[in-house]
Amino acid sequence: MKFTVRGALWLLVYLFFILAPLVALLFGTLPRPRDFWTEFSAAIGYAGLAIMGLQVGLTARFRFVTDPWGEDVIYHFHRRMSLFATALVIAHPVILFVAFPGMLWLLNPIEAPNVARWASLSTYALIALVVMSLWRVQLRLRYEIWHATHIILAVVAIGAGIIHMIGWGFYLGDPWKRALWIGLSAFWMLLIIYVRLIKPLFILRRPYRVVENRTERGDSWTLVMKPDGHQGFRFTPGQFAWLTVWSTPFKITGHPFSFSSSAEAPQGHVEITIRNLGDFTSRIGGVKVGEKVYLDGPYGAFTIGNPADMHVLVAGGVGITPMMSMLRTLADRGDKRPVILLYGSSDWESITFREELEALEKRLELKVVHVLAQPGADWKGEKGYIDAELFRRHVPQPYAEHEYFICGPDPMMDAIEKTLGELQVPTSKYHSERYSFV
Amino acid sequence: MRRLLADRLVWVTAAVVVIVCALFAYLRVAG
Repeated sequence: MKFTVRGALWLLVYLFFILAPLVALLFGTLPRPRDFWTEFSAAIGYAGLAIMGLQVGLTARFRFVTDPWGEDVIYHFHRRMSLFATALVIAHPVILFVAFPGMLWLLNPIEAPNVARWASLSTYALIALVVMSLWRVQLRLRYEIWHATHIILAVVAIGAGIIHMIGWGFYLGDPWKRALWIGLSAFWMLLIIYVRLIKPLFILRRPYRVVENRTERGDSWTLVMKPDGHQGFRFTPGQFAWLTVWSTPFKITGHPFSFSSSAEAPQGHVEITIRNLGDFTSRIGGVKVGEKVYLDGPYGAFTIGNPADMHVLVAGGVGITPMMSMLRTLADRGDKRPVILLYGSSDWESITFREELEALEKRLELKVVHVLAQPGADWKGEKGYIDAELFRRHVPQPYAEHEYFICGPDPMMDAIEKTLGELQVPTSKYHSERYSFV
Repeated sequence: MRRLLADRLVWVTAAVVVIVCALFAYLRVAG
């Protein structure tokens, strides 16, 4: 892997943050020891809470947190760890109930003491949080509603868990250990305050203005934006930013979009191309020139710039946007290395950037292979979807020397990633980005 | 493949957490 050392260090630091507060309980004044399962149950309760508390740190958009692995890996890790933390938090009382069935009365909210009620509240909030995240689409929850609920449930789950832990007081009867866990809890809450209050303040002071809203083929629009009163930022082609329109960064309305413009564009101008997918994106066409918008970025490790004899870009639908940024940048930099673009679209008329790709073929050593899912009767090119067979037909050897970028629907991504594995391409040579990692 | 990588990270983390929790309980019982 490309980031072996940084990645390993990242994992060690993460493990330290979730386990050191538990191990610290073994030092200093200790209460009387109990049986193995009670102690194990307590330990997984503490570990589960520490994992939950640190979850917000994973998605707080700190570059030193996401860079060693990339945003997509960290967000997936965040999701999976929430399942693991939930399993630990549920197993914590279940172990006690199995070992001591007499404790089951603690589940009765009328008879149970407050310390047990807080534990129940924390567990139920956590379960609701996981259910709403796993089945957001099936529950027909709008992204903004889900995001707001997600944060509220997380604060309730962590807050109630902390109150339960301090209220039970077995290990935290020692004032030093109590101070350590209260300090840790304050740190988690500070992370939430930073993400929701301090960071938005910085973004608020660096607004952008829309200078053009261009209609593109394929039911898409390109927002051209320029920094308003500041220098803007430099980005690497393939990176993305969180865009806030018609609102302030304090509201939970930011959406992640890849840049589609050249990284060499002058005066900090950036472009983002957005396809109408029916939700917030359906209103992008109504963004007026002169509108104030906010960009939080750049983020992402889906970037060019590594040694390669040629670039192979595989795009499905709106997955073309980061590829356009790469192609435009390569053209602006006069990069003459060959590039192959396999580009899946619905039909000839809906190919976003079709004309510009034709122009780029003249400026670059670029070969564009259009793959149409619903071609007209006169179409002589590739039909259907980008799959392993089509990939092998168009990409020349030596496979391991090229650098690959894949962005599109999940079935396409899965097929190409599997093929690259079969072709013995090292994972460090390919980068994939799923449409939706949030 | 990237998700597989994230899954591996989760499995490693989960294994370490469970081992440390079991060790915690063992050390407490063993005194």
